[in-house]
Amino acid sequence: MNDAEVSKQVQQMVRFIKQEAEEKANEIAVSAEEEFNIEKLQIVEAEKRKIKQEYERKEKQLDIRKRIDYSMQLNASRLKVLQSQDELVQGMKEAAEKHLATLSHHHHSYRKLLRELIVQALLRLKESSVLLRCRESDVEHVFEVLEDAKREYMGKAGVDHVHIHVDNQKFLPPAHDPRRPGSFCSGGVVLASNDGRIVCENTLDARLGVVFKQKLPEIRRRLFGGSGA
Amino acid sequence: MEKGQGGIQMLLAAEQEAQQIIAAARAAKSARLKQAKEEAEKEVAEYRAQREAEFKKKLSESSGDSGSRVQRLEVETQEKIENLKEEASKVSPEVVELLLKYVTSVKN
Repeated sequence: MNDAEVSKQVQQMVRFIKQEAEEKANEIAVSAEEEFNIEKLQIVEAEKRKIKQEYERKEKQLDIRKRIDYSMQLNASRLKVLQSQDELVQGMKEAAEKHLATLSHHHHSYRKLLRELIVQALLRLKESSVLLRCRESDVEHVFEVLEDAKREYMGKAGVDHVHIHVDNQKFLPPAHDPRRPGSFCSGGVVLASNDGRIVCENTLDARLGVVFKQKLPEIRRRLFGGSGA
Repeated sequence: MEKGQGGIQMLLAAEQEAQQIIAAARAAKSARLKQAKEEAEKEVAEYRAQREAEFKKKLSESSGDSGSRVQRLEVETQEKIENLKEEASKVSPEVVELLLKYVTSVKN
């Protein structure tokens, strides 16, 4: 080979070497782009998914919190209404209590009532000997009607004797006085068996308590309909 | 002889240049991959900020909502209670009379 041919061959080889390097560099660049895109996409998708879940969870909790709060408000409001109903009904009991106090002022009707209460208590106890307690202010009334009451009881119960001891040591508390706090009695009587084991409370106050309890559902229904609220 | 040597030099130089070209391509690739991470993180941060903004908006809307709802409930409740009071005062004398009647009627 002569110089020129050698030189040409060398140049060809140099060109070849460079071409191969550039092709390889190109391949590397192309794969770099591909990997770049894949890597970026993967990271973004994975992170976005996590964030989405996180915020969906937060929003759900927000919703639940809202609903709980509203439900609590609703309950509080219902409670207020029920409380109000209760207060109103109690108010009526108190109004009745006030009236009770005046009953004993009408002597004629009060005496009649005392007689009936004594007879009722005697019929309940069915004892031949009882202790009767009343207010100090009612002692006179009681003695006025005692014999009639005994007679009526004996007739109704079919017995021929009954002994009533009116307690003149201990009395039922007096009528309600706003100036004097403490226990009070609006009238009526308490009867007990001699050994004190069986007691019949036929005071006006006790009767009102019983009646009120019994009539409460009816009163509530009349006022508030159904079960209220 | 010199020309022969020259030829070999040229080939060696070309070889070296080839290595450099390839090394440069490799370096560019790894830089590109690092970029992938950086750009991804940027996009992710944007997305997070967007979701956060949406969430904050929902938060403020709902608290405004519930505030007015509570008020409305309060008003309704008060109305109900007022109605009850009215009803009660209408019916009260009747009820009191009924109670007293039961207290004072004795069935023997």
